[in-house]
Order: sequence, then structure tokens, then C-alpha cells
Amino acid sequence: MEFYFGLAQTIGIHTLLGLSAYIILLTGQMSLAQAAFYAIGAYVSGMLTVLWGWHIVPAMFAGAALGAAAAAAVGFPALRVKGLMLVIATLAFGEGVRLFFFNFDYQVQKGNIKVGPLGGEGFRQIRYFPENGWTSDEVMLFVWVFVILVMAMIWWFDRSRYGSVLRAVGDDELAAQSVGINLTAVKVSAMAIGGAVAGLAGSLYAHYTTHIEHLAFGVLQSVFAIAYPIIGGLASVFGTLAAVIFVQGFLVEGLRFLGDWRNLLFGLLIIVAMVVRPNGFLDGQMLRNFKRWFGIRSRNA
Amino acid sequence: MFDFIQAVLDGILFGTIYSLIGIGFTLVFGVMHKINMAYAAASIGAAYIGLVSASAMKAASAWVVFGCSLVAGGVLGFLVYLICFHLIPLRNENATLMSTVGMLLLADELISHATTGAPQNYPATLEDVMFRFGEMSMRGDLVVVFGVSVVCTAALLLLLYRTRLGLATRAVAQQPIAAQLCGMRVAQVNTLTFVITGVLGGIAGALICSAVGSLSILLTGPLTVKGLIVTVIGGLGSVPGAIVAGLLVGGLENVFQHFRGVTERDMYVMLLLFAFLIFRPGGIFAKGQGRD
Amino acid sequence: MSKIALAVAAAFAASLTVSGGALAQEKTVVIAPFGVKTGVLRLFGINSEAAIKAAVEEVNKAGGVKLADGSKAKMVASDYLDDRCNAEEGIAVVRRIVGTDALVAVGPTCSNVAEPLYGILQKKVDDAKDTGLQFPILTDVAIKVGLAKISEWSFRNVPSELTMYSSLYYWLKSTRPELKTVYGGVEEDFAHSRASWHVVMKDRANANGYQVLGESKWLLNDTNFSTQVREIKKANPDILSIAAHPFTTCGLLKEMQRQGVKPKLVVGLTSTSSLETMQACPKQAEGMIIPSSFAPVNKEAKFAAEQTAKQKGSADLHSMASWENVFIIKEAMERAGLSGRKDSASIQADRRKLRDALAATKTTKGLLGVSKRTEDREADKPYVFVHGKGGVWTVLHNPL
Repeated sequence: MEFYFGLAQTIGIHTLLGLSAYIILLTGQMSLAQAAFYAIGAYVSGMLTVLWGWHIVPAMFAGAALGAAAAAAVGFPALRVKGLMLVIATLAFGEGVRLFFFNFDYQVQKGNIKVGPLGGEGFRQIRYFPENGWTSDEVMLFVWVFVILVMAMIWWFDRSRYGSVLRAVGDDELAAQSVGINLTAVKVSAMAIGGAVAGLAGSLYAHYTTHIEHLAFGVLQSVFAIAYPIIGGLASVFGTLAAVIFVQGFLVEGLRFLGDWRNLLFGLLIIVAMVVRPNGFLDGQMLRNFKRWFGIRSRNA
Repeated sequence: MFDFIQAVLDGILFGTIYSLIGIGFTLVFGVMHKINMAYAAASIGAAYIGLVSASAMKAASAWVVFGCSLVAGGVLGFLVYLICFHLIPLRNENATLMSTVGMLLLADELISHATTGAPQNYPATLEDVMFRFGEMSMRGDLVVVFGVSVVCTAALLLLLYRTRLGLATRAVAQQPIAAQLCGMRVAQVNTLTFVITGVLGGIAGALICSAVGSLSILLTGPLTVKGLIVTVIGGLGSVPGAIVAGLLVGGLENVFQHFRGVTERDMYVMLLLFAFLIFRPGGIFAKGQGRD
Repeated sequence: MSKIALAVAAAFAASLTVSGGALAQEKTVVIAPFGVKTGVLRLFGINSEAAIKAAVEEVNKAGGVKLADGSKAKMVASDYLDDRCNAEEGIAVVRRIVGTDALVAVGPTCSNVAEPLYGILQKKVDDAKDTGLQFPILTDVAIKVGLAKISEWSFRNVPSELTMYSSLYYWLKSTRPELKTVYGGVEEDFAHSRASWHVVMKDRANANGYQVLGESKWLLNDTNFSTQVREIKKANPDILSIAAHPFTTCGLLKEMQRQGVKPKLVVGLTSTSSLETMQACPKQAEGMIIPSSFAPVNKEAKFAAEQTAKQKGSADLHSMASWENVFIIKEAMERAGLSGRKDSASIQADRRKLRDALAATKTTKGLLGVSKRTEDREADKPYVFVHGKGGVWTVLHNPL
């Protein structure tokens, strides 16, 4: 069971990371800085629990708040540009943050050892969960409380005015602007929410792995953050969850019985997924099908 | 002061490698408005196929290796187009982006399986040749790389502006639907663009590996990032812009390394890039309003 | 569409099921090897897997493992699991192993996986308040200084860089007294190599009376070394001590050749004494001296290398540590007196017995000779100095 509890934690953390990119993608923006907000959440909450003995929940909110602040700070200037320019601008910012943590030392003497982040050697012993007697099923439930809260929040956005505004900006900026939508406010708020969610994900990641270092927050991590919603489809938050289960559950852990073929199939099956479902697993059509099968009546059907 | 000038010179010279890889990214973007994330990985793959086929022919001189890589690059370019772009509707921008990410991971892993991940010795073009000017010196092989990237650019510009194919390519780049209505085969033009960039990639991959001295999949990640950066700084779709941008990035890296040390080097390069993109979104050769 | 979806879902559900212990008629004890078989470090996994297979075969040929009741059990190595050098995947792999009947895991390859892994283990045994995993890991490859102290369930059989470089500089001092100065070259963003220079080489060179002139830094996937080589040229050291992996070590050496920089002696990082370097830059690595915890210097070492080669792996300091680990585990298992039963309580009890036996081990018999176990659950392994000669690593000096 230990394994499944652990896998569920990983899936939960990656779902949060994917959702952080999902909400930004809704506005038609693509951010490759998600790993940076993830890193900020990880380092901040790790330092709070390890160095200053905070409880995990406030530490996570602090991580999320700083993630949101960083995202808003990068959002204002970066939203002057669009498309590939924005992708590269956010990539540059993300790498800048990673390299900041690569150069970041802050160690405190605790008992007979020094704890805290130590540049390239990373930040070890973030053992809040085991030290406080949390078993892995409890940690799993804890992670999933956040996943469900965030999914519910975004799901609720989708049926509120705010969600329609997000999608309107994503569909046609010019049209959205001409009906009086404040583009900057919409984009920056989406960025900030994305940053907060990534910060939460990062806090959980740090406490899940107990050791973090800058190499875990590289471009590839950001690419996966946007890959989840793209593979899953932008019609619903459940698409992102499905994509995380596909990547982490099936490609990474599920294909182990194939031995050496697993790592080759990883890239290949991502291509296949995109060829078979270019709009993602859960596109509008699929969602309507689901609703029909389960007899759910959609409000805007 | 002398150290500084030499460091900048070294950096600029090494930047030719970034230029060379940037040209391919920018060409695909210019024609199809797509990013091919697999480009650098496919280039290194072509360089590897070149190395293996040349040693199979018992002729491991650098120039035979280059010839083979060039051909392999064209074939790989075609395959990448077929798998990642042809099968996916082109308006699904995100899907083609992800399929090329998948291709990048696949290419990396294929090279890893073929080489067991170990770096491979790569023949040098001008081993140990150094041009010296008093105290200063320049690497001979990097001068060759620079020469090749200039020649490639000239050939590309000739192709784009002096041939019917070039005319078609530019037409497709500007107005794909209008071009199609005029009877141009858009898919064919796109395929050819990929084959040409693939050939360029083969040359680039081989030259880069020989300049670095060994072939390893450690090269693909940084080259992808650098290629994208160069494309953007140079102005999307601008081939001469990519060359200047490559040299600029190479030079700046060494400027920051000189003043702030290697650990902070990339941090400043990235922050500068971020600022640059925000204040000058069209690239160095921008005419005011940034293009998407 | 829905049929495909169903098939995918079924395949998915089937693939996620962890296979339980084999329905073995004969008694078995299971060890679980894992590490990297992906990307740049793929060779490490291939070699370790081969060495472990070969060693397990040897153990079984000699009759297997004796259990507490005097009966013999067959040793079984489960499938080598790939963690892709990724912390999360490494943790998932170990949690998966904990769910099987394996008594101990052998791995991982990467220090950045070992460090989080040791972190999720219980820090102190019998600390009921600590819910970390209670599962012994005996690491063969991940070498970053001072990791095993993180948990009482973590053990390592990796060479002690402190001892090796101390001894190397001491030996150089006596045999090459004309060399006075040391300059470092360090791959700064990789935890292991960074620690190797800043904590080990620099300190040991100082301690042996060398004048350390400074260091030049680069990053793991850097390709341009012109500035660094100029710095080295300027410092003009007698000894250049490189703490970097094969890819950048070769890049640096090639740039030194181009600029005509020739220190009197080049010292390399211990994990560079592998086949990789000789594939990437055999000419430039000529004469580079590296302390290594393996070389085929005696009958046993040659035998281990041959058996590993039969399993399509090559013998180097890493894979031969994997080989040794199998015998260390076998010996500890017999001392621990395992029940060998397959119910979960007995498995957990056997894991604990095995951990205690490993912790009580004072010396182990390695391929190059006896290695001592330290209080921190690390090894103090015998070593030799090798140097590059004609495209292969050959033994230069055996200090023992």
C-alpha cells in the first residue's frame, strides 16, 4: 500500500503543478516560469518548517503567497509580450530564479548540525511529515485536500463570470478588450493564481522528497507543468488530472514491466497522445459526451 | 582589461555555435509559426548517425562525418515533420509544441540507448589550430563554424529570395491560406522547410560536437534553450538576426562570467534576456511593434 | 473511441499492480537493485545490474544464504528498477520495493536521489514517533560526501574520497617532491563534484603541505572552457586537480590541449576513472591520475570483472561496489539469522535483523582487500591509483 499512497501523493502534487499552468493557459498565455514558483514555494515553506519550526499549513500558505507575489511581479511586465516571446521571457525568468537558489545559502546551527539551503548542494532534511508522526496515508489525504480545494476553485471559476472572462481573453483578446474587459487585470490575476497554486505544489513537493536542489526546478519541470493541461485538454480541470495520471501513473510507474522500453516509450507515447487527441484527452466534445453518458445537464448546453 | 577583451572574444566566437542552432529554429518559426522543440536533439542525433556511419565506412575523417550528418539531418528533419506536424492539425499550436517535446525526449533516449549515455569522442575540424594576434588568440575550429554559419545564411537567403521555392516559402509564411488559394502546395513547402532546416541541423550538430570535442545528450537541453533564446533575440524568423544574437549571447555569457563568476553567469544572462524581451519584444532588428 | 479508452484503462490498471512475491516452492531471500538506466547515466545502471546479477549467481552457486533454522535459501535479485536520477521517481521505486518481499535495496546511482531517499527513511531506529520508512538501503554508487549519516537505515559501500585524496596527495608529496602548487577545476553545480573539490581535494591538498592557488569553476553541461583554461594558464599550477564528470573533464582537457596548457600533473575525480572518459577523450586523459576503489589487480577482481562482462556489463569502481554489496548482504544475512518467511510481519522483522547486522559490521571483504565500516555507516575502502595509459586505465601505484 505504501507505494500507492506515495504514488497518489506524487499525482496530487503534479496535478497542482499542472493546474497552475492550466489557469494561465485559459487566458491564452503560456508560462514557462511555473518551476520557479514551484521552487519558491518549496524553499520558502521548507525553510519555515525546518529553520523556524512553523506548522506545515501556514508555511504552505506563505509559500503560496510568495509564489503569487513573484508571479504577479513577473506578470505585469511580461504580459506586454505574447506568444513565443512570452514563453521565452518566462523561461528566462524561471531559469533566473532557479539560478538564484543555486547561489542561495542560508544555514542555521541546529543541535550539532547545520540546516538550511546550501547553494548547489541543496537543502536537506525537510522531514516535517515523518518527524511529526504523519503516516503516508495521512500525507496522501493532506495532499488531496489541497488538490480537491484547488480543483473545486477552478471548476467554480469555470462556471462563474471570472472563468468566462478568462476564456474570452484566451479566445480573442481584441474582442474581449472591446467589450470592456481589463486585459492586464485578467492576465495578471490568472498569473498570480497560477503562481499561488504552483507555490502550494512546491511546498508539498519539498516535504514529500525531504531534499530539494536547484536541478529539480529546471526548464523540464516547467515544460511538464504546461504539458499536463495540454495533454489533458483545456475544457475541464479533470483533463489535467487525467493527464497527470497518464504521465506519472502510466508512463512513469505503469510501464515498468516493459523494462528498458519504458524510457523510450515515454516520449513516443506523448507524441501518440497528441496525434490521437490534438485537443487533449478532455476536449469540449468529449466533455459533452461524458455529460450525456452520465445524464448531467450542462447549464450552457 | 586584456583578460576581459580576450574573454569577450572567446565568448563571441563560441556564440557562433548558438547562431548555427538558432538559424534552424528561426527558419521553422518564420515559415510555419511553430516551434520545433526537437530541433537541437535531432541535430545531435544526426551528428551521431554521421559519426556511426562514417566509422562503419572506415573513414572517420571529420569531413566524411559531416557529409553523413548532413544527409542524416535531412532525413530526420523529414521524419520530425511527418510525425510531429503532418499528423496533427496545424491550428493546434499547443499539440504540435507538445509532440515536439515528446520527440525531444524520444531522441534523447534513443541516443542514450545507442551510446549507453556515455560521451563519444568526436573528430575535430582543425584540431589545435589557434590564430594568434600578439597576446590574443582565437580557436581555429570556431572560425570554421563561424564561416559555415555565414555561408549557410547566404545560401538560405539566396534560396529564399532568388528561387521559386523561396518565393513559395515566403508566400506560405506570410499568408498560408492565400498561398494555398494561389495553387501552392503548402504541405510540400512545409516539408521542404523541414528537410532544409534538418540538413542545416545535421551540419550544426556535427560542427558543434566537433567544437565541443564530444557528443553527449547533455548537449541537447542547453542547445534547445539557447536556440530558442537566439531566435527570440534575433527577431522571430530573421536569419541574420539569429547570427548576431548568437554572437551576442556568447559574448554576454563571458562578460558576466568575467565579472560575476560562473555560478551567477546564467542568472544575469537570463534576467537581461527577460528585460530585453519586455522592452524590445521584436528582437534586435525590430521595427517598433513586436511581432507575435 | 470508447473501446480504445477501455483498452487503455484496462492496460493501465493491469500495469499498476505491483506483483507480489513469487509463488516460490524453494525458500528465497530477495534483494532489490535500482538506479539509473536512462539518459546520460545509463551506463551506470547497465553495469550495476550486470554486476549484481553475476554476484547473485555466484552466491547461489556456493549454496545460497543460510537462514536461522539452518536451511539454505536461494538469493534472488528482483528486476533492476530505473529511477531516472529523479528524486520523486527514486522515492516511488523504494516505496514499490518496500511493498514486495525484498529485504534490502541496492542503489541508487545519483546522490540527488540518495539524499531524499535517506530523508524518507526513519532517522533513528526504534523512534516510534518517526514514521519514516523502516527499510535498509545499501548504496553502491551515489558518492557525495557524508550522506549515510542522514538515517540509521542508510548504508553505503562507496569509496571515501577524503581518505583517497589524502593518501594520493601524501604519495605525490613523497614521490614527486618538486610539485608544490595545486589548482582546482570544479563542476560547480553538481552536488557531488562540488563537494569533492571544496570539502575534499582542497582541504586534503592543504593538509599535505601543498599551496592551493585557487580554483576555476564551470557548470555540468558547459561546453566552452576557454576562460577557465586561461585562468589555469595564469595560475600555472604544478598540479591541476579536476572535480568533474567525464563530459566536462574531457571538454576542459581538450581546450587545454588547444591552448597548450600543460600542468606537470593532472588529478581527476574518482568517478571519472571509468570507460566513459576513455570513450570521449582517450588521448587527452593520458597521464591523468585518479584514485579508484577498483582495478583488476588480483585474481578475485579479475574474476568479478569477467563474470560481470558475461552479463554484458563492464567493471569499474561503481559496478564493482554493486558486486561487493551482494556479498556484504549475504554475509550480513547469515549473521542476522533470518526467518525467511514471507508473511509481512516476518519480512519486516528480517529487514530489521538485516539492518542491525549491517550496522554491526566492522569490516567487509572487498575485491581489493578488507574495507572498514565507519560509525556513520560509510565504508573506508581500499583503493589504488590509476592513470590513463594508451587509452585504458592502468594501475600506477597500490598504496596498500
